Amino acid sequence: MVRHIKALIVGSGPAGLTGAIAIAETLGGGKDVIIVDEGIEPGGQLPKQTHKFFGHEGFYASVRGFEIGNLLVKKVKSLGVEIIQQATVTGIYEDVITVYDRVNNIVNEYLADYLLIATGATEKFLAFKNNTLPGVYGAGAVQTLMNQYKVLPGQSFLIIGAGNIGLIVAYQLVQAGAVVKAIVEASSKVGGYAVHANKIKRLGVPILLKHTILEAIGSDKVRGAVVAEVDDAFRPIVGTEKEFVVDSICLAVGLQPNVELVAQTGAKLVYMPELGGHIPWRDENMRTTVQNVFVAGDLSGIEEATTAMIEGYIAGYNIAQEITGKSQEEKIQKMKDELSEFRRGPFSKKVRDGLKKLNIYFPAGGYREELQNNYGPKGKLRAVIECPQPIPCNPCETSCPTGAINVGGNINGIPHIDYEKCIGCGVCVTKCPGLAIFMVQENENYSIVGIPYELLPIPSKGDKVKLLDREGKYVADGEIDHVIPNNKGKTHIVYLKVPKGLEENVRSFSYFKKPEAFVCRCEELTREEIERTIDMGITDYEELRRVLRIGMGPCGGKTCRNLTLQILAEKTGSTISDIELGAYRPPTIPTPFEAVVKSVGERMERLEGKSDE
Amino acid sequence: MRRLKEHPILSVSTDSLQLVFYFEGTQVCGTPNDTIASALIANGIDVFGFTEHNHPRGFFCAIGKCSACLVEVDGVPNVRACITPIREGMNVKMQSGRGKPKW
Repeated sequence: MVRHIKALIVGSGPAGLTGAIAIAETLGGGKDVIIVDEGIEPGGQLPKQTHKFFGHEGFYASVRGFEIGNLLVKKVKSLGVEIIQQATVTGIYEDVITVYDRVNNIVNEYLADYLLIATGATEKFLAFKNNTLPGVYGAGAVQTLMNQYKVLPGQSFLIIGAGNIGLIVAYQLVQAGAVVKAIVEASSKVGGYAVHANKIKRLGVPILLKHTILEAIGSDKVRGAVVAEVDDAFRPIVGTEKEFVVDSICLAVGLQPNVELVAQTGAKLVYMPELGGHIPWRDENMRTTVQNVFVAGDLSGIEEATTAMIEGYIAGYNIAQEITGKSQEEKIQKMKDELSEFRRGPFSKKVRDGLKKLNIYFPAGGYREELQNNYGPKGKLRAVIECPQPIPCNPCETSCPTGAINVGGNINGIPHIDYEKCIGCGVCVTKCPGLAIFMVQENENYSIVGIPYELLPIPSKGDKVKLLDREGKYVADGEIDHVIPNNKGKTHIVYLKVPKGLEENVRSFSYFKKPEAFVCRCEELTREEIERTIDMGITDYEELRRVLRIGMGPCGGKTCRNLTLQILAEKTGSTISDIELGAYRPPTIPTPFEAVVKSVGERMERLEGKSDE
Repeated sequence: MRRLKEHPILSVSTDSLQLVFYFEGTQVCGTPNDTIASALIANGIDVFGFTEHNHPRGFFCAIGKCSACLVEVDGVPNVRACITPIREGMNVKMQSGRGKPKW
């Protein structure tokens, strides 16, 4: 039986959800509106976003992505729109739309007066040796695993790509307790927002610019990666290869729109690299070349979730307007104005350039570009904003209780503080989605630096810590002065006591390592680290060696092999004699290359001497 | 175990409710929220099957797009482990190549 509805929305991500809200609100209910989505949970990629969104309050700025997803889904459901999850649109034909419902294992048929296709995007793949090895993941996939399913697939990660996704995933991996060895980026600059990059740099994660991955090492799963520097034409430079011992590699090299379904409607596709590849041709109302087919979100051009929400509203109000015959122009125009505000900045240049080719014009500029050059009166407890790029975001301005902060009109403007009005309350520090606001106060004997903090453990007053700079490098010893917990928003402020004069350098801290029981003294590996690795399923001495480098230091395992075998036996419940000993490889002691070469040289000479005879 | 025990932003359920299913005949425990993929990875299983050319295959995109994680569930091949919830007692097998469809 074919079910006939007014509007079918494909995709329950931000664009699909706001589209549904616009349609159902205008229609006075959602009984003839259905959302179909392939995933298990509605919200598209929102449920895995644990960071706070940029933008303004109207589009949930400073609210974490997964919470935005919950809010939108709740709204959609309250309007009576049915969301069918675990259902994939398998085909769009002239006379019917087929939907495979995996829960009931049945293909259902639909007819819809209007289609809003918001199928989003897929992560791009990257060609390098061994790239299909288990342990090479899309960065978004790791986000799904750790943030939605609370499973961390590895302990040490290499991230490929320093766009916003790579930077965000690196930060979230550290939050989940993993080690990020490096972020590798082929271009000569970070592609994502500086505030995202700064967040991860001050935790000590290096960003290797002009580098690429050559190879994933391993036979059944990732054990490491080979990375090399690239020249200006992105060709790897021979001799610059370095190896990283990692168990996971995350690819964050961009997204491509999921155009399969929109193509089946007969809508025209165009190739637009600025917008992520092939995209459906569409007008400023999000209408494709097929009269009753609309698109929104990443499918219509790779951008981000806030503009996806706005596009969803635009498409939805247009559909609603045609269904009801009542003008929604006012609402549509309001959303178009929002888009126009958001897309003025430098990070929207590609989107503006791509849309220009579709004859859709967005203005650039018109926001404040000057950085504030004074850091306020010394001695006063005050906020210092380190937000150096024009990005569409203003929670600092809207959250400040005294109106001391403004972004200068357009939302892309650089924030400035009026230090006469700043009362040092720290609200902006907890609201800033980029974690780019700090507190500073110079005292007579020491200074105070307040840092936005979203990691575990939560420090306690008096804890001795290492003070780190913006690059995560050690600058001095310090201690925790006090902590202002923020149990609701989860961005706490940790106030550090720092030596006088260092308040402009200190932007992070780390704990001194607890005194630990070492097993491998050369590689400084503790019993705890070895046990943790065994717990992850590595129960073979050779494998432990490859993953941890245990026994691979100068002593060659003479000190640690027995202890390691003992721990392995205890953890696996076997006896030492049952455990494979692993190979004893030469050289037994570090031997100078010179000595080896000399012997080879002498042999060669002898050989040459012989052949001369 | 690779399950998070705590997280600075997210609440981590300490729900002890466990679902048991089988992977290659061996018992695997998961939580009611797990997909096949998340449960396998949580249990240290990274290889879900093999390609036609015998390369190991695992988890890649997590959103049902890439088909790297195809497994056989209760005799049915080509099930995407990343977007299929686990069920008590389900029988998951590694898939080789394109799998053998059941007619």
